[in-house]
Formats: sequence, structure tokens, C-alpha cells
Amino acid sequence: MNENEAKRILLRYRPQTADAEDPQVAEALALAKTNPELARWLEALEVQRAALCANFQQITPPAGLKEQIVSEYAATRRRTALTRSLWVSLPVLVVLLINFAVLWHPRSLTGTALAVFKSQMVRLATGGYGMDIRTNDLVPVRAYLAEHHAPADFKLPAPLEQAQLIGCAATDWRGARVSLVCFRTGKPLPPGSPADLWLFVVDRSAITNSPAAGAPEIAKVNRLYTATWTQGGNLYFLGVAGAEADIKRFL
Amino acid sequence: MPGNAEFESLVARFYAPLYQFAFSLTRAEADACDLTQQTFTIWATKGHQLRDASKVKTWLFTTLHREFLDSRRRQSRFPHFDLETTEAELPAVSPVSVSGLDVSQVLKALAQVDEVFQAPVSLFYLHDHSYNEIAEILEVPLGTVKSRLARGIAQLQQLLARDIAASQPPSNL
Repeated sequence: MNENEAKRILLRYRPQTADAEDPQVAEALALAKTNPELARWLEALEVQRAALCANFQQITPPAGLKEQIVSEYAATRRRTALTRSLWVSLPVLVVLLINFAVLWHPRSLTGTALAVFKSQMVRLATGGYGMDIRTNDLVPVRAYLAEHHAPADFKLPAPLEQAQLIGCAATDWRGARVSLVCFRTGKPLPPGSPADLWLFVVDRSAITNSPAAGAPEIAKVNRLYTATWTQGGNLYFLGVAGAEADIKRFL
Repeated sequence: MPGNAEFESLVARFYAPLYQFAFSLTRAEADACDLTQQTFTIWATKGHQLRDASKVKTWLFTTLHREFLDSRRRQSRFPHFDLETTEAELPAVSPVSVSGLDVSQVLKALAQVDEVFQAPVSLFYLHDHSYNEIAEILEVPLGTVKSRLARGIAQLQQLLARDIAASQPPSNL
């Protein structure tokens, strides 16, 4: 091993770690002990490495991230526990029948499917989607979604009908077609985003633990305030880049 | 699903290093938060499938890295490059002093390193992962990790040296 080869290997060496057990590193270190120039180079490298490590350690999570992760999980768990307790309270025969049905239904395997769906749809809305068509008319939106086998028979809450429609896209989630309808709240838009209010509609049978029909459940998911409800055969998931009051305004 | 206390303990232990890794990859707070939260959401669903409890850390980092790659593929902004994994000849470098740089400058330089080297270099400087763990997290052979580390660090050094030289006022002759 010559000096240049030793330098290339020592680039990936961190003192006081298992890196020194790597045979190539060990050989390069041995060479540094007998080569003063290589030893000086290694010393400078170590100063630089320590400074860069310190830089990386300066990255700190924003306040509240841990609490948000934990609370989202607790909410998911509560929903799962509630569902379980309802099952248990039914008469034995019904329980047996339901258990039989559950065993035959894949939903029993994925208790947090709704949480995953919500999280992934929020990421889609805030990160990587493109609208398939842009229009302020709901008729071509429904026609496009129907043509692409995505839910098109959805019912909008009356306040949401008044929001400015921007366009739509059809996407997939675990093999189910999902409609994404984009609106504007009228407030300043997030940088680079054409919309700040997104409605996802999916066949409720695609989400294993869809909420029962009733008032929308409001929750913060990542960066968005969201509302989730079921109506007819669809599950609706509305997200807004704004405050809790903003989401309530469109329900 | 694990109990709330068990889950909270897991989050408390790993959310900060996961966030550091996510931030070093995305360089955006919101994206790093999303990736971190998504990783724990997947853990809640699939974590019970992990038989070896000692692999939790690697499992979480692998999941975060996969989610990051998936999100980049969805955005279709980042073409995938297959780089050869053999250790190519690298120019000899003189380590420059980086004590005056802050984290944003370092991450800006890291962003200019070849994409395939960025994740291993981040994990290297986060300093909590052996070569074997980095190989498991990135799902590449051990030899590839060593090669990518050496080449990625060399590139980073050159970029930092260039940035530092550019930021210094010209000397008076």
C-alpha cells in the first residue's frame, strides 16, 4: 500500500469506532505510524472530520415533532381499541360470526391503514403531484375522474362547493383508485403550490379501518389540518394548508 | 400494535437521529418531519414483523431511506444513476479547515456531491453507524459502501475547499 492508497482508505476512518477493525484501514493506520507526512495528513483529516460531525449534530428536530408522532399513534391506537371493544360487547354468536368475517377479510391485518393513507395523501398534496386537468368546472372534473376509473360520484359539503376549484388528478393507493380534487381557500398559496385545499376520495372498502358515517374527524396530519368522513360508499379526506378554523370553514 | 409507552420510548430514542438523516437528505425541515413521521407510521403497521429487536435502528433508517427514494421517484425530478462500485483513483486531497462553516453550508456542499454518495456520507458523519449498518440501511454490499464513502468524502472535501477558497478575500499583492 502506498501513501495515496492509504489516504483514500483513511478518508472513511473514524477514530474510536469499529472502523479500525477494517483490514484496509488497519493497514493504512499502520503505515501512518511510520510515515510522518501521512500522519500529519491524518491529523488534519481528523480535525476536519470532527468539525463536520459537529455540524451534522447541529441538526435538531423542530419542537413538537416527537409529540406529534406520539399523539398521531395514540389516536390510531384509540380508534383500533374502540373498534375492538365494540366487537367484544356484541353477543357471542354475533362475535363469532364477525370474527369469522374478519378472518376472511384482509382488513384485520392492517389496523393502521387509514393513518398510512392519510399520511401518504398529505405527502402527495404537499410534495409531489401534478394535476391531470386544470379547470374551475366540476362537470369535466367528474367526467375525467370517471373516465379514469376514479371515484366521480362524490358529494361535496356545501361550503366546499363554494371554494375555488382548480383541477383534479387520478391516482392510486394500494390498488384502489383515488380522486384528488384541488381547490384554493382564497388565502395566499404556499410557495410553488397551485392549491391549498385538497379533497381525496376513495372507495371506503379500500381503507380497512374507515370511520363510521358521522361528523368529520378533524386532525392535524404532518403539515395539514385534515377532516375525514365517510358518506355512501366513499371515504373523504380533506386537507388544508392553514389553521383548524380553515378546515372547518369548508365542512 | 405496540403499547403507547413502548412506542413513545422508541420515538424518543430514534426520532432525532432519523430527523438528522432525513434533513441531511432533503435539506427541508417540513420534508424531514414528514419522512420521520412516515417512518414511525410504517413501524406501527409493520414493525411487529421484525424478529430481531437489535435491528430496530437499522430497520428504521432503511425504511426512512426507502421512503425518501420513493418520494424522489414520484417527483420524477431525480434520474437514477448506476455508478460503478469499484474504487476509482481519487486525487490526493489536503483536508481544509471547516471550523468556520455552519451546517447549512456543509449540507449545501453535500447536495452537490454525486447523489449516490450523499446518503452514505450523511450516515458516516452522523457517526452512529458502522460500515455494516450503513450497508444494511442502504441495501448495498459492504464493499460498495466503503467505495462510496471514500469517493463521496473526497468529493465533499473538494467542494468544501472550493467554497472556502471562494469565500476568502483575494490577498493583496
